[in-house]
Amino acid sequence: MKLEINATDQNDGVLRLKLDGVVNIQTAVDLRRQLKPMLGKAKQQVHVDLSGVSFIDSAGLATLIEGLQWSRAAEGRRFVLSGLCDNVRDIFELAKLDTVFEIEQGGAV
Amino acid sequence: MSDSEQIMSCRLNSSCECIGVLISMVEVVGRRAGLSDKQINRMKLAVDEMFANIARHAYHGHEGAVEMSASWRKKQLRFELRDYADPLSASDIRSWARPAAAGDELKPGGLGMQLMRAVMDRVEHEALADGNRWLLIKDLGVSAPNEEHSYEA
Repeated sequence: MKLEINATDQNDGVLRLKLDGVVNIQTAVDLRRQLKPMLGKAKQQVHVDLSGVSFIDSAGLATLIEGLQWSRAAEGRRFVLSGLCDNVRDIFELAKLDTVFEIEQGGAV
Repeated sequence: MSDSEQIMSCRLNSSCECIGVLISMVEVVGRRAGLSDKQINRMKLAVDEMFANIARHAYHGHEGAVEMSASWRKKQLRFELRDYADPLSASDIRSWARPAAAGDELKPGGLGMQLMRAVMDRVEHEALADGNRWLLIKDLGVSAPNEEHSYEA
Protein backbone atom coordinates (compact mmCIF):
# COMPACT_ATOMS: atom_id res chain seq x y z
CA MET A 1 0.00 0.00 0.00
CA LYS A 2 1.51 3.26 -1.10
CA LEU A 3 0.87 6.95 -0.80
CA GLU A 4 2.35 9.47 -3.19
CA ILE A 5 2.61 12.98 -1.84
CA ASN A 6 3.24 15.93 -4.12
CA ALA A 7 3.60 19.38 -2.60
CA THR A 8 3.59 22.60 -4.61
CA ASP A 9 4.16 26.16 -3.48
CA GLN A 10 3.30 28.81 -6.10
CA ASN A 11 4.07 31.74 -3.80
CA ASP A 12 0.43 32.77 -3.66
CA GLY A 13 0.06 32.10 0.03
CA VAL A 14 -1.35 28.65 -0.60
CA LEU A 15 0.53 25.40 -0.12
CA ARG A 16 -0.94 22.56 -2.11
CA LEU A 17 -0.65 18.92 -1.28
CA LYS A 18 -1.83 16.26 -3.71
CA LEU A 19 -2.22 12.76 -2.29
CA ASP A 20 -2.52 9.58 -4.32
CA GLY A 21 -3.02 6.15 -2.80
CA VAL A 22 -4.00 4.95 0.65
CA VAL A 23 -3.68 6.94 3.89
CA ASN A 24 -3.43 4.43 6.72
CA ILE A 25 -1.27 3.41 9.67
CA GLN A 26 1.51 2.52 7.22
CA THR A 27 1.53 5.68 5.11
CA ALA A 28 0.28 8.34 7.53
CA VAL A 29 3.77 8.63 8.99
CA ASP A 30 5.13 9.94 5.68
CA LEU A 31 2.20 12.28 5.30
CA ARG A 32 2.77 13.69 8.76
CA ARG A 33 6.48 14.10 8.02
CA GLN A 34 5.69 16.22 4.95
CA LEU A 35 2.74 18.08 6.36
CA LYS A 36 4.36 19.14 9.62
CA PRO A 37 6.98 21.54 8.11
CA MET A 38 4.34 22.97 5.80
CA LEU A 39 2.31 24.01 8.80
CA GLY A 40 5.35 25.85 10.13
CA LYS A 41 5.58 28.13 7.10
CA ALA A 42 4.06 31.57 7.02
CA LYS A 43 1.18 30.59 4.78
CA GLN A 44 -2.46 31.43 5.03
CA GLN A 45 -3.78 28.27 3.47
CA VAL A 46 -2.94 24.63 3.05
CA HIS A 47 -4.99 22.84 0.45
CA VAL A 48 -5.02 19.05 0.44
CA ASP A 49 -6.33 17.35 -2.68
CA LEU A 50 -7.61 13.89 -1.79
CA SER A 51 -8.99 13.04 -5.23
CA GLY A 52 -6.37 10.30 -5.64
CA VAL A 53 -7.04 8.76 -2.23
CA SER A 54 -9.11 5.57 -2.23
CA PHE A 55 -9.00 4.81 1.50
CA ILE A 56 -8.26 6.60 4.75
CA ASP A 57 -8.25 5.31 8.33
CA SER A 58 -8.05 6.93 11.75
CA ALA A 59 -4.27 7.37 11.47
CA GLY A 60 -4.79 9.39 8.29
CA LEU A 61 -7.65 11.37 9.81
CA ALA A 62 -5.53 12.13 12.87
CA THR A 63 -2.81 13.56 10.64
CA LEU A 64 -5.29 15.79 8.86
CA ILE A 65 -6.67 16.88 12.23
CA GLU A 66 -3.23 18.33 12.98
CA GLY A 67 -3.68 20.54 9.95
CA LEU A 68 -7.07 21.58 11.17
CA GLN A 69 -5.64 22.44 14.57
CA TRP A 70 -2.99 24.56 12.83
CA SER A 71 -5.66 26.50 10.97
CA ARG A 72 -7.57 27.12 14.17
CA ALA A 73 -4.51 28.40 16.00
CA ALA A 74 -4.51 31.70 14.11
CA GLU A 75 -7.31 33.74 12.59
CA GLY A 76 -7.43 33.77 8.81
CA ARG A 77 -5.70 30.46 8.27
CA ARG A 78 -7.50 27.85 6.21
CA PHE A 79 -6.90 24.13 5.96
CA VAL A 80 -8.97 22.96 3.03
CA LEU A 81 -9.68 19.46 1.75
CA SER A 82 -11.01 18.63 -1.68
CA GLY A 83 -11.73 15.75 -4.02
CA LEU A 84 -13.09 13.22 -1.54
CA CYS A 85 -14.37 10.10 -3.30
CA ASP A 86 -17.54 8.49 -1.96
CA ASN A 87 -15.71 5.92 0.18
CA VAL A 88 -13.42 8.51 1.75
CA ARG A 89 -16.31 10.89 2.35
CA ASP A 90 -18.19 8.04 4.02
CA ILE A 91 -15.32 7.58 6.47
CA PHE A 92 -15.27 11.31 7.25
CA GLU A 93 -19.00 11.08 7.92
CA LEU A 94 -18.63 8.01 10.14
CA ALA A 95 -15.99 9.90 12.14
CA LYS A 96 -18.30 12.93 12.23
CA LEU A 97 -15.52 15.01 10.71
CA ASP A 98 -17.33 15.98 7.50
CA THR A 99 -18.77 19.04 9.18
CA VAL A 100 -15.60 19.89 11.08
CA PHE A 101 -13.24 20.20 8.12
CA GLU A 102 -13.60 22.75 5.34
CA ILE A 103 -14.27 20.46 2.39
CA GLU A 104 -14.50 21.80 -1.14
CA GLN A 105 -16.56 20.02 -3.74
CA GLY A 106 -14.70 18.73 -6.82
CA GLY A 107 -11.28 17.21 -7.25
CA ALA A 108 -9.07 19.92 -8.72
CA VAL A 109 -7.09 22.21 -6.47
CA MET B 1 -25.06 -16.83 -1.92
CA SER B 2 -24.92 -20.11 -0.02
CA ASP B 3 -26.23 -20.24 3.55
CA SER B 4 -23.44 -22.59 4.57
CA GLU B 5 -20.48 -21.06 6.37
CA GLN B 6 -17.39 -20.23 4.35
CA ILE B 7 -14.06 -19.49 5.95
CA MET B 8 -10.84 -17.86 4.84
CA SER B 9 -7.84 -17.42 7.13
CA CYS B 10 -4.27 -16.18 7.20
CA ARG B 11 -1.38 -15.72 9.63
CA LEU B 12 1.04 -12.85 9.47
CA ASN B 13 2.85 -10.43 11.75
CA SER B 14 1.83 -7.09 13.16
CA SER B 15 4.13 -5.08 10.91
CA CYS B 16 2.31 -2.26 9.13
CA GLU B 17 3.41 -3.71 5.79
CA CYS B 18 1.10 -6.66 6.41
CA ILE B 19 -2.06 -4.59 6.57
CA GLY B 20 -2.33 -4.77 2.79
CA VAL B 21 -2.70 -8.55 2.98
CA LEU B 22 -5.59 -8.29 5.41
CA ILE B 23 -7.28 -5.59 3.36
CA SER B 24 -6.99 -7.72 0.23
CA MET B 25 -8.53 -10.60 2.11
CA VAL B 26 -11.43 -8.42 3.23
CA GLU B 27 -11.95 -7.37 -0.39
CA VAL B 28 -12.17 -11.00 -1.53
CA VAL B 29 -14.46 -11.99 1.33
CA GLY B 30 -16.66 -8.96 0.78
CA ARG B 31 -17.05 -9.75 -2.93
CA ARG B 32 -17.88 -13.38 -2.19
CA ALA B 33 -20.38 -12.36 0.46
CA GLY B 34 -22.06 -10.05 -2.05
CA LEU B 35 -21.36 -6.78 -0.26
CA SER B 36 -21.52 -3.42 -2.02
CA ASP B 37 -18.40 -1.31 -2.56
CA LYS B 38 -19.44 0.91 0.34
CA GLN B 39 -19.94 -2.06 2.66
CA ILE B 40 -16.60 -3.57 1.64
CA ASN B 41 -14.88 -0.24 2.29
CA ARG B 42 -16.40 -0.18 5.76
CA MET B 43 -15.30 -3.75 6.49
CA LYS B 44 -11.79 -2.81 5.34
CA LEU B 45 -11.89 0.12 7.73
CA ALA B 46 -12.93 -2.03 10.69
CA VAL B 47 -10.24 -4.66 10.06
CA ASP B 48 -7.62 -1.98 9.42
CA GLU B 49 -8.46 -0.29 12.71
CA MET B 50 -8.44 -3.52 14.68
CA PHE B 51 -5.09 -4.52 13.20
CA ALA B 52 -3.72 -1.05 14.04
CA ASN B 53 -4.95 -1.38 17.62
CA ILE B 54 -3.28 -4.78 17.98
CA ALA B 55 -0.01 -3.44 16.56
CA ARG B 56 -0.05 -0.28 18.70
CA HIS B 57 -1.69 -1.30 21.94
CA ALA B 58 -1.27 -5.06 22.25
CA TYR B 59 2.22 -5.39 20.80
CA HIS B 60 3.26 -1.78 21.56
CA GLY B 61 4.91 -1.43 18.16
CA HIS B 62 6.92 -4.63 18.43
CA GLU B 63 6.29 -7.32 15.89
CA GLY B 64 4.15 -10.26 16.87
CA ALA B 65 1.92 -12.84 15.25
CA VAL B 66 -1.57 -11.92 14.10
CA GLU B 67 -4.03 -14.44 12.74
CA MET B 68 -7.24 -13.50 11.01
CA SER B 69 -10.09 -15.66 9.88
CA ALA B 70 -13.10 -14.39 8.03
CA SER B 71 -16.28 -16.40 7.94
CA TRP B 72 -19.55 -15.59 6.35
CA ARG B 73 -22.89 -17.05 5.69
CA LYS B 74 -26.03 -15.57 4.29
CA LYS B 75 -26.85 -13.33 7.22
CA GLN B 76 -23.59 -12.66 9.00
CA LEU B 77 -19.98 -11.74 8.34
CA ARG B 78 -17.38 -12.33 11.08
CA PHE B 79 -13.75 -11.36 11.27
CA GLU B 80 -11.77 -12.92 14.09
CA LEU B 81 -8.29 -11.60 14.87
CA ARG B 82 -5.97 -13.31 17.28
CA ASP B 83 -2.76 -11.97 18.80
CA TYR B 84 -0.21 -13.47 21.17
CA ALA B 85 0.56 -10.34 23.13
CA ASP B 86 -0.08 -9.90 26.84
CA PRO B 87 -3.78 -10.34 27.58
CA LEU B 88 -5.54 -7.00 27.86
CA SER B 89 -8.11 -6.04 30.44
CA ALA B 90 -11.35 -4.22 29.80
CA SER B 91 -9.93 -1.09 31.41
CA ASP B 92 -6.89 -1.26 29.11
CA ILE B 93 -9.18 -1.20 26.13
CA ARG B 94 -11.44 1.51 27.47
CA SER B 95 -8.42 3.74 27.92
CA TRP B 96 -7.89 3.78 24.13
CA ALA B 97 -11.27 5.31 23.56
CA ARG B 98 -10.91 8.69 25.16
CA PRO B 99 -14.22 10.45 24.70
CA ALA B 100 -13.87 13.97 23.36
CA ALA B 101 -14.34 16.53 26.08
CA ALA B 102 -16.31 19.69 25.47
CA GLY B 103 -14.29 22.03 23.27
CA ASP B 104 -11.90 19.22 22.49
CA GLU B 105 -13.69 17.82 19.50
CA LEU B 106 -10.55 17.61 17.42
CA LYS B 107 -8.74 15.17 19.67
CA PRO B 108 -8.17 12.10 17.52
CA GLY B 109 -7.73 9.60 20.38
CA GLY B 110 -10.16 6.71 20.25
CA LEU B 111 -11.18 7.44 16.69
CA GLY B 112 -10.31 3.93 15.57
CA MET B 113 -12.61 2.32 18.11
CA GLN B 114 -15.35 4.82 17.24
CA LEU B 115 -15.09 3.88 13.58
CA MET B 116 -15.15 0.15 14.30
CA ARG B 117 -18.24 0.55 16.42
CA ALA B 118 -19.89 2.65 13.73
CA VAL B 119 -19.50 0.08 10.98
CA MET B 120 -19.82 -3.23 12.83
CA ASP B 121 -22.78 -4.59 14.77
CA ARG B 122 -20.57 -6.15 17.43
CA VAL B 123 -16.98 -5.56 18.50
CA GLU B 124 -15.83 -8.06 21.09
CA HIS B 125 -12.62 -8.87 22.95
CA GLU B 126 -11.64 -11.96 24.86
CA ALA B 127 -8.48 -12.15 26.95
CA LEU B 128 -6.83 -15.55 26.56
CA ALA B 129 -4.04 -17.17 28.53
CA ASP B 130 -1.58 -16.40 25.76
CA GLY B 131 -3.03 -13.39 24.01
CA ASN B 132 -6.25 -11.79 22.86
CA ARG B 133 -9.10 -12.68 20.56
CA TRP B 134 -10.97 -9.92 18.77
CA LEU B 135 -14.25 -10.39 17.00
CA LEU B 136 -15.88 -8.08 14.49
CA ILE B 137 -19.39 -9.07 13.48
CA LYS B 138 -21.60 -7.57 10.81
CA ASP B 139 -25.17 -8.70 10.38
CA LEU B 140 -25.80 -8.59 6.67
CA GLY B 141 -28.95 -7.05 5.35
CA VAL B 142 -29.18 -4.65 8.27
CA SER B 143 -28.45 -1.17 7.01
CA ALA B 144 -28.22 1.06 10.04
CA PRO B 145 -24.50 1.83 10.24
CA ASN B 146 -24.73 4.48 12.91
CA GLU B 147 -27.05 2.72 15.30
CA GLU B 148 -25.91 1.91 18.81
CA HIS B 149 -23.40 -0.94 18.82
CA SER B 150 -22.36 -3.20 21.64
CA TYR B 151 -18.83 -3.44 22.90
CA GLU B 152 -17.89 -6.21 25.20
CA ALA B 153 -14.53 -6.65 26.82
